[in-house]
Amino acid sequence: MAELKDIQNEVIRQEIGEFIEREDERQKIVGLYANTSSAMHDIAANIILGEHLKVDELTRQAIEGGSDALEVMDDGLIAGMAIVGIKFRENFIFVPEVLACARAMKAGMKHIDPILSASGIEPVGKVIMGTVKGDLHDIGKNLCVMMLRGAGFEVLDLGVDTSPDDFIEAVEEHSANLVGMSALLTTTMPNMGKTIEAFIDADLRDDIKIMVGGAPVTREFADDMGADAYGANAVECVDIAKQLSGAAK
Amino acid sequence: MIQQIPEPMTSRQRVLAALSRQPVDRTPICNPTSVATVELMDLVDAPFPESNRNAEKMARLAATSYTELGFDTIMPVFTIIQESSALGCKMQWEGKDNWPTVKMNEPIWAEPEDISIPSDFLTHPDTQCVLDAIGILKKEFGDEVAIIGKTMGPWSLGYHCFGVEKFLLMSLDDPDKTRRCLEKMKQATIEFGRAQIEAGADAITLPDHATGDLVSGEYYDRFLKEMHTQFVEDIPIPIILHICGRTVDRMDYIAQTGMAAFHYDSRNKPVESMETVTQRISLVGNINNPETLYAKGPEEVAAEVFENLDAGVQLVGPECAIPLQTPIENLKVIPEAVRRWHANRSEN
Ligand code: B12
Ligand SMILES: [Zn+2]
Repeated sequence: MAELKDIQNEVIRQEIGEFIEREDERQKIVGLYANTSSAMHDIAANIILGEHLKVDELTRQAIEGGSDALEVMDDGLIAGMAIVGIKFRENFIFVPEVLACARAMKAGMKHIDPILSASGIEPVGKVIMGTVKGDLHDIGKNLCVMMLRGAGFEVLDLGVDTSPDDFIEAVEEHSANLVGMSALLTTTMPNMGKTIEAFIDADLRDDIKIMVGGAPVTREFADDMGADAYGANAVECVDIAKQLSGAAK
Repeated sequence: MIQQIPEPMTSRQRVLAALSRQPVDRTPICNPTSVATVELMDLVDAPFPESNRNAEKMARLAATSYTELGFDTIMPVFTIIQESSALGCKMQWEGKDNWPTVKMNEPIWAEPEDISIPSDFLTHPDTQCVLDAIGILKKEFGDEVAIIGKTMGPWSLGYHCFGVEKFLLMSLDDPDKTRRCLEKMKQATIEFGRAQIEAGADAITLPDHATGDLVSGEYYDRFLKEMHTQFVEDIPIPIILHICGRTVDRMDYIAQTGMAAFHYDSRNKPVESMETVTQRISLVGNINNPETLYAKGPEEVAAEVFENLDAGVQLVGPECAIPLQTPIENLKVIPEAVRRWHANRSEN
């Protein structure tokens, strides 16, 4: 089994040692870095540090130097975001720091995206995300979007104040099979249920999976409304998205 | 622990005493954010969004916190967007069943140089109506009840005017630039606060959402502690700082500002919070909104009231703007439970 001390990159080794406390997660993360190159570790480390200029530079170099785009994405960018997500969940870092990591991720993806779309490689899954009607809280939703992208999903972000019709239209137009809804207000939580009903009325409910989240939402409420899954944070959002899209590894 | 004094006080005296940690006849009930609910809007025919824009309706809806619910305070500003509207943000006023908001994805400013407080800031309809509502309430209830105003802090104004994510990224990339922005925006906080004092407010809520859900406790120290300390002089009236979410990690800093009170969220335990602030600032709170007041019953509400009273919290009330669908019955339990607690104590 891979061990922490075998990871050469000092930033990565320290980050895992200091911030990844759950044994199962530590095993999983150490595994991510066990057999990957030092160039990829370098990219991941700069994702974690939120250094978008360095990630931009290093990703460009890697691609120009002949590295495979998927490898750079998986072993560099995504591996870095995996640590970022856990640090945020455990309150080691806060929203500004995560936003900086997201910016770094974006700087790297700028070099990867054109290659992936030209080669016709399918994303892990396609997700439609939005904050429901009447609700303008979007920080949590945006972090979920970012972590989903960071895990290789293609995400269409409908933004805030999203009506049931907007969700339906997006599903039809983009033939996505996974929808994520966010709500932070008790006054807008029922709009999740209304959106699910609208999908039923539009005869689309069986074609899609629906996940929900946001601070006041509970697993129980999600079940009552007829959602397929509930996620308490951005790490869980990625896990359930993988399960729902059959991409769980 | 609060000493009890025998003579009955008016609501106003009780609130002002509690805000300065003086003895009270019983613990006052206070919501310094918003008590508006759909039921109360119907009761006095003052629905959203009009009651956020028309002084007379605003005052009428606000007064229900005293006349219907039996709270000791009246607070006419149900939203956090009145001054953002006056600063020129794009607004979404919503309907009766939702709060209005700023369209934060269409920010109006990006650099410190962009910031300017319009000359009509205090005469804009959406700030003027707050001043007028305070005037109406002062006239009608000023002797008996504490009238509380609200002026948004510069950190919250930053979310509205720059967009939350852009503002938070700036705070990381360029702390000095962020400070320059805060310095310029605080002018709005001070001007609106002072105007409300003139209009008749007895105390003022100052929401400034540097919450543990978004930023570290160290952030509060780095960007806001000093400015909040200065507000105590700039806005010479008891200030109630409001920050929802997890805040116990920054309550020590908050207690150092000299502000009168801190309105705290249910995600912080009353005893732990009281131990952290050690009588340097009064606490107001912290009955849970989305679960307890909105969805549970009288017993659960009373239990949270008692937990606050047992801990010595100086003013009891909901943690933040109460959900608009909160049943009146649950809100009425708060004063009733406070009386019950005091009665039990004097028996024993
Ligand atoms: C920041 C904030 C704001 C900002 C919003 C900025 C923005 N662009 O989002 C501002 C200051 C503008 C604001 C405004 C208001 N707010 Co506000 N706000 C908050 C606060 C402090 C933090 C929310 C937040 O961003 N948290 C951080 C993120 C990272 O967490 P999160 O959103 O929960 O997301 C995580 C998980 O839930 C999950 N998740 C989220 N979405 C999804 C989706 C899926 C599919 C999955 C799987 C997971 C998932 O993953 C995320 C990452 O880990 C909360 C307090 C609290 N205790 O939550 C109040 C709070 C949500 N607000 C509240 C209120 C009342 C308001 C206002 C009505 C205030 C007023 N009087 O006008 C307005 C309403 C505006 C509107 N119509 O939407 C109340 C809501 C009460 C209720 N439940 O009804 C709260 C709970 C405060 C309280 N204690 O009462 N608010
Ligand atoms: Zn609040």
